[in-house]
Amino acid sequence: MSAVIPYHRVNVLTGIKSARLIEDAQEYAGLIQKAKRPLLVLGPLLLKHSLGDKLVLEYALEIAKAANIPTCATAQVRAKMGELGVTPDSFYDVVEIINALKDPNWQGVKKEGNHDLVIFFGIRSDLGEQGLSVLKHFAPHLKTMTLCKYYFPNANYSLPNFRKDEQWKAFLESLIDNLKKGA
Amino acid sequence: MAQVKEITRKLEEIREKIKAEIAWEPVGPTPMPEIPDLRNWDMRLLKTYAPFYAPFCDLCCFCTYGKCDLTETRRGGCGIDIATQQARWVLLTCLMGCSAHSAHAGHILEFLIDKHGPDKKIDLGGSISIEAPHIRTVVGLKPETLGDLSKAIEYVYKEITHLLDSTNMGQEGSYLDYESKALHAGMLDHVGMEVADIAQIVGFNYPTSVADTPLIDLGWAAVDKSKPVILFVGHNPATSTVVIDYLRENNLYDQVEVCGVCCTALETSRYSDRAKVVGPFSRQLFFIRSGIADVIMTDEQCVRTDMPIEASKAGSALIATLDKAMYGLEDASEMDTAEIVRQMVEDKKHFAILDSRKAAEVAAKVAIEIAPQRRKEWLTEAEAKELATKCNVCGMCEQVCPNLFNIGAGIAEVAKGNFDLIREQFNLCIGCGKCEAECPRKIPIFKIMQTAASMEKWKVRAGRGPIMDTEIRTVGAPITLGTIPGVVALVGCTNYPDIRDIAEMVDEFARRKYIVVVSGCTSMVAGMWKDADGKTVYEKYPPAFDMGGVVNVGSCVANSHITGAAIKIANIFAALPLRANYEVMADYVLNRVGAVGVAWGVYSQKAAAIGTGCNRLGIPVILGPHSSKYRRLYLSRKEEDDWRVMDARKREIVDTGEPSPEHLAYVCETKEKAMVMIPKLCIRKNDTPQGRAIKLNHYISLHKKYMGGGLPEDIHLFVRRDPDIPLVYKKEVREYLQKIGWKPREPVGLPTLIGTYPSKVPVDAVIH
Repeated sequence: MSAVIPYHRVNVLTGIKSARLIEDAQEYAGLIQKAKRPLLVLGPLLLKHSLGDKLVLEYALEIAKAANIPTCATAQVRAKMGELGVTPDSFYDVVEIINALKDPNWQGVKKEGNHDLVIFFGIRSDLGEQGLSVLKHFAPHLKTMTLCKYYFPNANYSLPNFRKDEQWKAFLESLIDNLKKGA
Repeated sequence: MAQVKEITRKLEEIREKIKAEIAWEPVGPTPMPEIPDLRNWDMRLLKTYAPFYAPFCDLCCFCTYGKCDLTETRRGGCGIDIATQQARWVLLTCLMGCSAHSAHAGHILEFLIDKHGPDKKIDLGGSISIEAPHIRTVVGLKPETLGDLSKAIEYVYKEITHLLDSTNMGQEGSYLDYESKALHAGMLDHVGMEVADIAQIVGFNYPTSVADTPLIDLGWAAVDKSKPVILFVGHNPATSTVVIDYLRENNLYDQVEVCGVCCTALETSRYSDRAKVVGPFSRQLFFIRSGIADVIMTDEQCVRTDMPIEASKAGSALIATLDKAMYGLEDASEMDTAEIVRQMVEDKKHFAILDSRKAAEVAAKVAIEIAPQRRKEWLTEAEAKELATKCNVCGMCEQVCPNLFNIGAGIAEVAKGNFDLIREQFNLCIGCGKCEAECPRKIPIFKIMQTAASMEKWKVRAGRGPIMDTEIRTVGAPITLGTIPGVVALVGCTNYPDIRDIAEMVDEFARRKYIVVVSGCTSMVAGMWKDADGKTVYEKYPPAFDMGGVVNVGSCVANSHITGAAIKIANIFAALPLRANYEVMADYVLNRVGAVGVAWGVYSQKAAAIGTGCNRLGIPVILGPHSSKYRRLYLSRKEEDDWRVMDARKREIVDTGEPSPEHLAYVCETKEKAMVMIPKLCIRKNDTPQGRAIKLNHYISLHKKYMGGGLPEDIHLFVRRDPDIPLVYKKEVREYLQKIGWKPREPVGLPTLIGTYPSKVPVDAVIH
């Protein structure tokens, strides 16, 4: 299989270990449901972009609800969540949550033990890729996954580079359906 | 026995170099410190603020054993692991930065000693007696002449060599020791910068001991393109000052327009307030491609490496004036001036000319000759629209954009006659030009952006150099007590998420009566915004180092004056001796001076060195999102880390549980988050209840403003007793504290880390 090039060239991998690219929403849903203590980290790009008439944040919150995943609001995401009537389970900025996740003895946002699957959604891609690199190298006790529309080589599981927003929207909707079915 | 003799001889040599017999202060424990001398201090810092590594690359390719894959638990052929490799990169980065500033210092010092002699007195005016807080603190020397500055820079050179040695394959094997070395390099960087700027102030007669320096015209629209234009690019003013001298001596200064991009512009405007500041590094390529400059003179640092190609494309003449960047050009330093001018005018040839007098004469003559023949018109909207029609929105430009935005969408809108989006995008553009290079249809994106660039003129205050001792005496108490809520230093380059962030931050914190200090490209960007009354932040706020002031210290090397001010607070206000007494100074700054650096758009290795130097001195730094690519942060885990300090008055170790300052090097993804982290990182254990209440008032109100209401979730960690709670939020905070079962705790009388780790410094040394 030839290497997948991330959409933003700044994130081109210089290394060997790269993310498994998954396009099938059912498979993604299965990985999420298999996790015992997943965490969804919400970034500020979720407030900036819409798919159709919905903010991407709304898709993220539907995913969290469908799979009962605790959330971590970074940057100013909590403000918008408040407007939508949702309280995040935790507030950390992106480097802080990653710093905590690195520690295998951290008890996680629910105080039930560190998370085994961390899903990143809405972090700008260069910072996100760097954060994923931290966990790839220093957090072997957990897996990482992304829901943004680009390929992130430093994650364990990543979506492909969706050329069209419609493809991404369809994936997210299908993921939500699959998670609901699984629940 | 032999070893004792060796150490004694070394100490004697150091004492001679620093003129130890002149007892202006007793010589402290670490004159001219070497790698191990401050290691224990570093390790204490790194215990709380642990390195956080984000590898940019999984491999090591430094030696012929490689490439070595360092993922998981793998080690390289030399035995290095991924964390240590990151720390090695960090050290190398800091060394590049430190070398750039220190070589600049060495060059300018040589130039000025040649001009004035080594005995030229250092006199920074009546309001500055502590002329060199870094040199005094680190080296232990009170420099009285330009010749004395040479001793300081020679010490820096020597240390750089030892540090660089440690990065060779097969040496240091501990990431913590590499970090200690990086902190050492950062400290040296501030010494190097201080040497450079003191030399410049003395040698070029820059403004000093004055706050109200001239307001300089800023922006490309400020440049009179009807005249021959000479543009300086870089950082070193040796050539630009000589050019101005030449123009003055030959009565040409009215006929020729002199301007600059990046720090040389700031330096030149300190020499002559008629020199224009075009803008920061991010506008360098844009301005060069506009063709307005007839002659471009480069010196060093932050100069595009493709300058000869770009100059030729724009039809500008290029003179490289320093050996750091000669671009493969013919060295014409010994060539006949008339012949150089002829070849530059007739053959369009570029040269390196390392003799600044000759370079000045050539530049003036060539500019005057070629200017009348050159077209300097900017693109019209109609022309831009025509060029933009070639765009098929393939997205290649977005893929290579370091700021991750889709300029192609803006170009497509221009093709429809709509310039709104591209005007917006011009604020996001960091000026690298990769989009245009990648465009398969060769659309001249930068030219099209001319139609988006504001034709507005702004103002930037000329750099004023050191903070005055008189100002330190006024603000020392309110800063350390907390009643001035903090010193916010916005510094560094222009790799911003959005160029408008800077002026917004300056405005927000100056309005809240913080002391705001700016430098380098950030100082220009701060001026590129006007309020509803048409005023820039320099016109809106006073230039004093006092609450609500906005102070431009100057160029990159003037950053040493910001950290120098923190040392001066310890020395002048708290009366702690600084001579060769680095640990005491750094400990004071960490625990008692509420200062934070905001390096929002840094890209360079120099910026990494500056920031790391701030960290060793106990000043936390907030970085923008791009800076995760520096590979390393210093983060605490506020609920779990060691927040014990010694209460020097009671001589007992106290577990404060208070994460102040919470981090030493921290990346924020958004301006909104930075707005909240800035007041938080100004909190210090030494704050009085009144001061703490003021700081928490800003922390809470900015949190409510940018994070959507509610209290910060960690507010309980910063409330020691009820009087710490700001009046306006009393009820809400009390309710929250009660809900979570908060317990009051005693503030620490005299907080210090001295006494909590192995150090030669006794606890008595921090009591003033």
